[in-house]
Amino acid sequence: MAPFALAIAVWGFVTGVAMVNSGMPIPVGVLMTLTVFAGSAQLAVLPLLAVGAPLPVVWVTALIVNLRFVIFAASSRSAFVHLPLRQRVLAGYLNGDLGFALFSLRFADDPERGTPVQWGFFYGGAVVNWVVWQVASIAGLLLGGLAPTDWGLELAAYLALVAVLVPMATKFPAVVGVVVAVVLSLVTVRMPLRLGSLVSVAAGVCIAMVAERWQTSQRSGA
Amino acid sequence: MDALHDWSYMLAAIAGLTLGTVVTRSSFFVLPARIQLPERVERALRYAPACALAAIIAPGVLSHDKHVTIGWGNNQMWALIAASLVFAKTRNMLAMMVVGMGVFTALRLLA
Repeated sequence: MAPFALAIAVWGFVTGVAMVNSGMPIPVGVLMTLTVFAGSAQLAVLPLLAVGAPLPVVWVTALIVNLRFVIFAASSRSAFVHLPLRQRVLAGYLNGDLGFALFSLRFADDPERGTPVQWGFFYGGAVVNWVVWQVASIAGLLLGGLAPTDWGLELAAYLALVAVLVPMATKFPAVVGVVVAVVLSLVTVRMPLRLGSLVSVAAGVCIAMVAERWQTSQRSGA
Repeated sequence: MDALHDWSYMLAAIAGLTLGTVVTRSSFFVLPARIQLPERVERALRYAPACALAAIIAPGVLSHDKHVTIGWGNNQMWALIAASLVFAKTRNMLAMMVVGMGVFTALRLLA
């Protein structure tokens, strides 16, 4: 648990620092961190909010970054489906990256689903995750503004996103998709409303699917 | 007015973002069990977040005011490359941060 708590704390602190460095007032940042509770989505939309991008572009960008949670939910649903609706929504809300990683590592091979031990483990981890995240994030909001801007603390936010990206891009199709997205996002950097990033994601996903199909055909010798 | 200080804009943004967190995270906890993701959709969803993050990181570090700034003098670029290599090798977030910010600071002070 301790290494996870440290990762959550660093990540939360950096998110807080990034929010205040983008020029966001501290009360807005505190409200955002307490409610949105999704670091990578928050970091992703900061540049959009700073230029006053249209809200649908802000929301769609965050949804794309959050799509991985749909897969998390699909793959761990069997442990949760028997709960009352309100508890399922709450469990989902708390099921972030690290909580999910811990839970699935611990119980991946457990034939029984939804046992009391699993509950205790899930909610215990989720509560620690939530508290550590919020404390670190608010600390970042309060302290981040004290550092001079030429220290480059906004770079820290991008480095933190690398820590989310790298584990997702270990296989060949994902690497191809990421390279395409990088190149296209730079080519389209002058497109209005940051629409270039949506174009880059669409193209990256399509090329990744093509790469995956090519890889499969190579393996099967067809 | 600066959008970040526009309370109605920010409150609307935050409300939508919070809804986005809840909807994506609890999606399959709430949907009836008979609803499954089609395999193609699930495969495509696996790639979208990585591409989205790449499309946020690259322009953030490698462009300024809508102009691409890849070049020897882009300290953030070198910091990003060093940090990515360290993280790919060690998967240690703290080490990655220290190296990345260290490279940036060293280049900034040397320049």
